[in-house]
Amino acid sequence: MATAPLIHEYGPFFDQARQHRVIFYYVGYFSQNIIAAMAEAVKLQLEVSGVDGPTRRKLFSSFIEMAQNIIHYSSDALTPRSQNERELRHGSVCILEHDDGHLLLCANPVESGVAEELRHKLDTLRQMTLAEIKQAYKDTLRGEPPEGSKGAGMGLLTMARDARGPLVFDFQRIEGRDDTTVFCLKAVI
Amino acid sequence: MENLYIAPTPSTPEVDFKFDQHRLGLRGESYPENAAAFYGDVIPPLRTYLAGCVDQPIELHIALAYFNSSSTKMLFNLIEALSGAVDARGNRVSVHWFHDEEDDTMLEFGAELRDDFPLIDFVLQPVHSG
Repeated sequence: MATAPLIHEYGPFFDQARQHRVIFYYVGYFSQNIIAAMAEAVKLQLEVSGVDGPTRRKLFSSFIEMAQNIIHYSSDALTPRSQNERELRHGSVCILEHDDGHLLLCANPVESGVAEELRHKLDTLRQMTLAEIKQAYKDTLRGEPPEGSKGAGMGLLTMARDARGPLVFDFQRIEGRDDTTVFCLKAVI
Repeated sequence: MENLYIAPTPSTPEVDFKFDQHRLGLRGESYPENAAAFYGDVIPPLRTYLAGCVDQPIELHIALAYFNSSSTKMLFNLIEALSGAVDARGNRVSVHWFHDEEDDTMLEFGAELRDDFPLIDFVLQPVHSG
């Protein structure tokens, strides 16, 4: 008995990816090692796609910031709470070609309290001009890092500074859960 | 004190602080999982070394192809520590900032460090790639 060709079952999925001009997509657990490997793949992909140097650097930078934010803030962790290095946390990241630029998308679950903080930060950022963003970047550089931050709280500022246009974000409630929300972020580079 | 050497990894830089020769080097990529922890092994020994330097010429070479947002803060702190050593004990610090000639972000950051720390002799060194 003949089986339906794979293309019938999976064609639509691959077609979608092609239509959206996906050049990189990963969904799963993120760790520092996994990010380093993805960084290599992304670098290569961008070089081969003929993207110019300055844009490649900005894309790479925002990609790393997004991926590391997943390790730091995703509420879906494989490693125990008490472990705060070599962590493994779940999320997704996607790079798409778009008009004359690229879209960077990422998504991960976050604790609802964290969601509120993020919303506040991103709302503030949306209303800032590029000059104000650059100034906020300089000010944060010189200030004290936020408590509990593994970095300096400058990831979003870095992305906002490099993106064309304000960062776009969204929070999706998860059915049946009040403590967790899915955070989605889009940057156009 | 003993020289400080940390071997590079795909996401952390080579740290080659030859304290005995007063030549310090930072080279590679910097996007550690926890920048505060990584540079927490670098900046305190640097401070200890600087505390013992008086009227000394000190040279730091920085050649980082990329550093993430949290490394940026740590680098700032590192340069600040060097600047403090000029101010307090008359050391002469020069920082050579190597950057890809096409990389505006790197150039700008180097220029900002130079403007923020006038006590340090900052040398911007564009590098031709390819």
